[in-house]
Amino acid sequence: MSLELKPKKWAGAIRAVTLGSGSRKPVTVGGGNGLPLHTFEGVFPHRPAFALEITDVDPARWAEAARGPWDGVLGSPAAAARRALREFGADLVMLHLCGTHPDRGNRTPEEAAADVRAVLDAVDVPLIVKGPGAGPRQNDVLARVAEEAKGEGLALHSACQEDYKTLAAVAVAYGHILVAESPIDMNIAKQLNILLADASVDMNRTLIDPLTGGLGYGLEYTYSVMERIRLAALGGDAMLNAPMICLAGEEAWKAKEAKASSRQEPRWGDERRRGIHWELATALALIEAGAEVLVLRHPETLARLRTQLDCWFGDPAPGGDSCR
Amino acid sequence: MPLTGLQIFKLLPNTNCRKCGYPTCLAFAMKLAAGRESLEKCPDASPEARAALGAASAPPIRGVTIGRGERAVTVGEETVFFRHEKTFVRRPGLFRILDPRGLSAAECGALLNDWLGVSIARAGETFRVDGVAIVEAPGAPEAASAAARRGFPVAVLAATPEGAASIAEPIKDQRPLIVPPAGAAPAAYFALAARLGVPLVVAGADLAGLASAAAAASSAGVGDILLEPPGADLRSLHHSLSAIRRGALDRVHPGLGHPVFLRAGRGEFEKAVLGITKFASVLAIEDHGGETWLPLWTLRQNIYTDPQKPLQMEPGVYPLGEPDSRSPLLMTTNFSLTYFIVSTEVEASGVAAHLAVVDAEGLSVLTAWSAGKLSGDRVAKSLRQTGAVDRVSHRTLIIPGYASPISGELEDAMGDGWRVIVGPQEASDIAPFFRDVWEPMRAR
Repeated sequence: MSLELKPKKWAGAIRAVTLGSGSRKPVTVGGGNGLPLHTFEGVFPHRPAFALEITDVDPARWAEAARGPWDGVLGSPAAAARRALREFGADLVMLHLCGTHPDRGNRTPEEAAADVRAVLDAVDVPLIVKGPGAGPRQNDVLARVAEEAKGEGLALHSACQEDYKTLAAVAVAYGHILVAESPIDMNIAKQLNILLADASVDMNRTLIDPLTGGLGYGLEYTYSVMERIRLAALGGDAMLNAPMICLAGEEAWKAKEAKASSRQEPRWGDERRRGIHWELATALALIEAGAEVLVLRHPETLARLRTQLDCWFGDPAPGGDSCR
Repeated sequence: MPLTGLQIFKLLPNTNCRKCGYPTCLAFAMKLAAGRESLEKCPDASPEARAALGAASAPPIRGVTIGRGERAVTVGEETVFFRHEKTFVRRPGLFRILDPRGLSAAECGALLNDWLGVSIARAGETFRVDGVAIVEAPGAPEAASAAARRGFPVAVLAATPEGAASIAEPIKDQRPLIVPPAGAAPAAYFALAARLGVPLVVAGADLAGLASAAAAASSAGVGDILLEPPGADLRSLHHSLSAIRRGALDRVHPGLGHPVFLRAGRGEFEKAVLGITKFASVLAIEDHGGETWLPLWTLRQNIYTDPQKPLQMEPGVYPLGEPDSRSPLLMTTNFSLTYFIVSTEVEASGVAAHLAVVDAEGLSVLTAWSAGKLSGDRVAKSLRQTGAVDRVSHRTLIIPGYASPISGELEDAMGDGWRVIVGPQEASDIAPFFRDVWEPMRAR
C-alpha cells in the first residue's frame, strides 16, 4: 500500500541575502521555498551559516567553559578571528564591540574602526559587527565602522524601531547589510522593515533578528515568533521574508544552567558538556524554527551542528532520504 | 476533520424542540461545532448523527497511558502542527534506559532509588525521571519489577518476544510499554501486547509500512500503540516525524494517529532535541548525566508551555516561596521574561520573598525606564493598588538596579516612612544581594 503525503507548496520564499563583498569571500543565506529544514518538499539553495563570536575586549562575564577554547586570544580580535576560521571552521565571524559601551571600557569609535580593520585584514570571510547596544553610542560606533569598512558588505547589528535612521543611511551609503532587530514581535519586525524600505534600504540586504531567548529563558517565544514569521514569508509577505539571524551563543551562555560549576550544582552533571548542550539545544531549536545565521560561542557546538547540517543538506544516499 | 456548524445542523432533527436548552437546532449545532456542548443533550438525535459526530470529534492522535498511579505518563491527544496554533498538550515522557547487564539486583535498586530521588524545581514544574526503559537481559525481569514497585512507568526494550513476556507479564497491571527490537517480525509482539493488554511500539521501514503495521496491530487486538519513526539520521528522522504529525492531523491514514516513540542512544543529544521539538511523545534516553537531562527537561518545558499565555504578566504581588511580613519585597515590571528570570533567581536564592509586578506595558525594566513608563508616581500607585505595601511590615522596597534613577522620586511618592533600596542590575546577582546587603541590613 502506498502512502503519499502531498508536498506543501507555498506562494512565497525567503530572500537570498549575500553577506560580504569587496575583499570578502561572500556567504549567501536564505532562498528556501519551504518550512525550515523541510528538505523533503522544498528547495533550499543555501544552508544555514555559522558565525563565531569574538570581542574587542576580554569578555569577563563569559562562562569558563566558553572562554576555554579562546584561551590567549580573548580581547585580541584579529587573532581570535584567525582561530575561529582556521581552527574552528566558522563560515563567518561576529565582532562584538562590547568594549565601546560607556560602562564596559568606553572605547572610542576610532578604536572600534581599528579593531574592525584588523579583523578584515586577518581573515577574508564576511564580518558581522555588533555595537554596544541601543543608545547614542551604538550609532556613533557603527557609523564609523561602516565608513571604515566601506564596500565590505558587513552585517551591522542592529537597528531597531525606535532608532533606525542613522544605521539605515550608513548601510546604504557604505554598502552594508543591516540587521533589523525586533523584540520577539512579528508586527514590529514587519513595521521596522517597512520603515527601512521607506528609508531606501534594499530589502535584499537586510536580516531579521527576532531577538533570541535562550533555552529556559524565553526560547519558546522566539521559537514561535520565528515560525510565524516564516509562515508569513512563505505566504508571500515581502516585508517578513528576510533570512533570520539568532545570537544563540550569547543568550544560551547567559543562563545560570550553562554557567554554574559542577561543584555548585553536582546534580547538573559535567559543566563543560552542560554548557555546550545548552547552546546546542538553543541553536538547533532555532534552526528548526527558521534561523539561517547562527552566532555561536563554543567551537564544539559549531562542529556538532556542522556535522548534522552537512548531512541534512548533503546529497541523499541512493534509494532513500538518508544521508548515510 | 471537525464538522462545521451547518454540517452538524443537517444531522440534527430540525424540530427546534428546545429540549437541549437552545432556542433552535441551528444554535445548538453552532455550540456543538465550537466544542462547547455535547450531543447527549439532544434526546432525538439519530444513530447516524451520533456516529458521524463521534468520528469527527475523535482526537486525531490517540491518547496512550503508560504506567499506573501518580507517576503514570499519558501522551498523545495533540491537535496541532505548530505550537502557536493552539498549544502542545501532553509533555513527552522522558524515560531513562537501564541496562541490567553487569549490575547486581542491589545495584539496580540503588540506581532506581537515585533516579526516584531526582526532583528539580524550575519555573513551576518539577523535573523528574518520568519512566525507566529496561533493556532485555538477564536480571531484566527483576529490574522491571523493582522499577514498577517504585511507581515508575516501565518500557521494555525487548530483544525477543519470550524475553519481553518474561519482563512485562509480572507487571502487566502497571501497563508497561513493549518496544520490539529494530526489524523484528511483529506478529509475536502483537499477540503478546494484545494478551497482556499493554501498549506496544510498532515500526516500519517507511511511512506506509509504519501506518500499515499500526493498523495490523489494531486488528490483532492491540489497544494502545506508539509509532517508532524510520530515520537513520536527523534529516530522515525529521522527515518521518513531520510526515507522521501532518498525516495524523490530516487523517490520511488511521495508522498514523498514534503518539511517537523515539530512542536516543549514547551521545545522541541532537536527536533528543529534535524529538522534543518535533512531536515525539516518549523518549528512551541512554545518557544519564545532568548535562544531558537538564537541557532536555528545560527544552520540553519551553516547547510545551502554552503559547497563548500573554507576554505580559498580570500586575500584582507574587509570593515566591512562603514569604511573611518580614520577607523582602522586590519590584519589577510586567514583561513576562523579566518576571520569569527574576522569580527564577529569587527561588534559587532560597530566600522567600514578595515580588511586586508593576504595569509597565509589558516592557523590561531598562526599556520601561527609558520610555518613561517607570516613574516614581506610577510605581507607588501600582504598589498601593495591588496591596503590595500591606504585605510587609519593614517598609523597605528593593527596586531593580536599572531603575535606580527613580529611587528618590519613588521614595517621595511612597511617603509613610518607606525606604527604597537599589538592588542589582542583573537578576543573577540577586542571591549575593540578599546575602551581602539584605541580610546584614535586616540583622541591624
